[in-house]
Parts: sequence; C-alpha cells; structure tokens
Amino acid sequence: MLNLFKPRPTSYADRLSDTETTFTVKRGESLLSSALSAGIKWPFKCKVGSCGTCKCKLIDGKIKAQLDFGYVLDMSEIQDGYILACQSILKSDIQVSVNLTK
Amino acid sequence: MKFYVNARYLIVPFMSLIAIAGILIGGSFAWVGVALFGLNTIIDTLTKNIHLPADFDETGESYGIKGFQYAVMFLMLPVFIVLQLVLAYRIFQYTSLTPIETAAFLGVSYEVGTSGLNLIGATLSSGLWAGLGIIYGHELSHNKKEGFFVSRLIMALSGASHFTYAHVYNHHLDLGHEDDAATAPRGRNIYAHAWLSHMGQSRFSYNLEKERLSKRGSSALHFDNRWILGYLYSLPSIVLFVWAGGLIGVAALFSVWVIANFLLEALNFMGHYGLIRTEGAVEHRHSWDNDSVFTSWFFIEIGRQCDHHVRGETYFWELDDVEGPNYGIGYFSLFVLTLIPPLFKAYVQKHLDNWDEKYASSEEKVIAAQFS
Ligand code: FES
Repeated sequence: MLNLFKPRPTSYADRLSDTETTFTVKRGESLLSSALSAGIKWPFKCKVGSCGTCKCKLIDGKIKAQLDFGYVLDMSEIQDGYILACQSILKSDIQVSVNLTK
Repeated sequence: MKFYVNARYLIVPFMSLIAIAGILIGGSFAWVGVALFGLNTIIDTLTKNIHLPADFDETGESYGIKGFQYAVMFLMLPVFIVLQLVLAYRIFQYTSLTPIETAAFLGVSYEVGTSGLNLIGATLSSGLWAGLGIIYGHELSHNKKEGFFVSRLIMALSGASHFTYAHVYNHHLDLGHEDDAATAPRGRNIYAHAWLSHMGQSRFSYNLEKERLSKRGSSALHFDNRWILGYLYSLPSIVLFVWAGGLIGVAALFSVWVIANFLLEALNFMGHYGLIRTEGAVEHRHSWDNDSVFTSWFFIEIGRQCDHHVRGETYFWELDDVEGPNYGIGYFSLFVLTLIPPLFKAYVQKHLDNWDEKYASSEEKVIAAQFS
C-alpha cells in the first residue's frame, strides 16, 4: 500500500507493497509523473493512458481524469475505485494503493 | 529567451493565415498556400544540418509558456474552420458563375469570382494547410482533457476524427507491432500506407468503441459511439460544401480530405517506417527522429518521435534530442523522397541497415532479417 498526500512536501521511502509512502504531487502534474520524480518505482509503460500498467486503487480523495478510463479499465475496476495514475490530476489530498511489485 | 522559444512555433499559424489571405485575394494568389509548401521544402533542405536541443533555464524549467501554446493550439481550430469557409466561398462564386472582376476592400484589391484553375489552386492550398491540423490534433490528443475534444474537432475538419482515439490507444500501445496500423512495415510505399493506415486506424477506433459499449451492455449502434460521433463532427463541412457547390463542392472537399489525410499518414510513415518492436516497453529506438531546425519549429517538435513515444505525457516544447535513430533530413525533404518510392527505398536502406546493426535487440534483428 502506498499513501499519498498532496499539499506538503514530505519525505518518502521507496518501499514495496504494504509499506506506506507520502509524497507531493505538483499542481497539474500527473500522479505517475510525481511518483516517478519522487523516485518511486511505480509501474508504467505508455504514460498516455492506453496500457493500464499504472493503475492503482483510489482509497480516499478526488482526482480529475485526463482521459476516459473506460477504454482500459473494466467497469468493475472503475466501480472499485481503480484509476490510471498517468491520467490522474489531483483535486485534493488522496490516498491510493498500488502494487509496486508488478 | 522566452519570446524566442515560444514565437518560433508560430510558423504554421502565420503561414495558414497567409494561405487564407491568398484564397480571399483570389486570382493567382489562391496558389500561395501551395507556393509556401514549396518554399518550406527549400528552407527545410537548406537547414537540414542544423539541429538544436530543447531550451531550459538553469533550474531545468522549460521556457515554453503552457498557457500561450495552448491558446495558439485552441485558436487553430477557428483558423482551420475559416480555411474551409474561404474555400467554400470561392466554390460558391465559381458554381454561381460570378463574373471575374477586381474590387477593393480597405485599399486591398481582390478578385471577385474565380477561374477553374485558381479554384484548383485554392483547393490544393486548403488541403495542404488543413493537413497541418495533425500537428495540433496530435499534441492535443495527449493527456489534456479539454484538448482532447478540440483535437477531435480539428481532425474532424479533415474527416479524421477517429485518429485521436486510434493514436492514443493503438499507435502508442502497439508501436512497431503488426497490429499498429500506423507503423509502416519495410517494403510498403507511402501510397499503400496512406490507405491501409487510415482504414486500419478507423477500424481500430470502431472496435474500441464497440468493446467499450459492450462492457456497458450497449450495442455499437449507440448515440455515445465516439467513432460515429467523430464522423458526425465532419457533417457541417459536408453540408457547407454541398451547399456551396453541389457536386463540385463535394469533389473539392473530398480533395481537401484526401490531401490532409495523406499528409497525416505521411507523418506516421516517416516516423516509424520499417522499425520493429518485440515485447516490452517502447524505447527510443522504435521511432525515427526528424529534428532539423525548420522541421522542429514548423511541426511543433512532432519530429522528436523518439522522446515523444517514451515520454508521451511531455509537452512538445520540452521534447528533446535523445540520440535515437535519425534520418538526418527534415520532414519536408523526406516527404518529397517518399513520393517517389524507389528513391525513398534507396535513401532509407542505409538507415535501416544502421538500425539493424546498432539499435535493434537480438529478437528484433531476427524479424528484420526476414525482410531482407
Ligand atoms: S502507463 Fe499506460 S496507462 Fe498509464
């Protein structure tokens, strides 16, 4: 599990699943870009919202989707709160869970 | 520095306005858009050896002003609409047999009415400059919600609204694979590619919608089918040209669309011709860079394909040279070569040999060998 909070730059630790990490996402920057800038080994492949590799589960908070997730994620995944990190801009502090070991 | 970095990408907006003015002034000025294309080919060829890196300040921030560049890209939608309107206006004059005479507006003389020959010039000018919508349609298709719809509208003016979805969900994902319609395999010529790539992307876009709608339990024949909607966005252009000139109007619009889509597919062709990707992430070696200075500025860095395909989220003004495969000449010069397939084949062979030797992975080499 990876926890994210937007407003204050805080320390992060590059740890694998079921560890907790906090980092800052710059305004207008995608969740994935910020995670990678913070040195987190977030899985990704295309960075344009077409492969689904960067998907994570939104536990808390609000994001703005840059592209329709419906082409890549199943309805059930979307209903369960899955988002594409490369296509998500933050609208509040958020908390997500991602499998870093993919 | 900020001014220089942002102003250098305004060549197409300015030249599009000149092409529009040429059609409005009429007479032989209707050919100005075509002449500009020729002039650009000369400039591109003369400056082919100048390659400049992207410009960043000492903190690593780009000098590009996002608000400004987006305003320009969004404003190009009305510019492309006006380009169609002025052509329709000339078609209307031609089909309604308006006498050819000289008039003046604010001291500028222009020709009322048009000859058939100059109408051909206006149509070619419109097609060539409408085709450049791709550079804005492409940039806006990536990662920017509001931009995505504007991208669809810009592409719809050329009957190619399907491009926006196919580009993101097919081309970026399947680059260098057989199932990417936009990647031209070795041996294919530009004419075959233009057709196959266009149809392949449209088919992909339809299937994508079909699948998305079926996930929701809806049939493909649905008002929310974005493939169908995309073509409906092109309807105003069709209505305009039918109204302006009946069959002649349809023929002119068809010509504009053919030219525009041919240019679009030419960019796809030049960006990835003959390159192969096996499993794994897209890397710099899976694209050709065309980053000589005029190409870079004119095509708002769309030629920096190597960097773009790896960092698809990156704004065009931040794309940089990544020392990927490079044809060594700009898009205008290369485009002329592609029009003569034997010439293009001869030119590109040494670059493909170099790619096979220096860039290809061992699996990619095996596939490449099957083409020789
Ligand atoms: S990295 Fe491919 S969808 Fe995000």
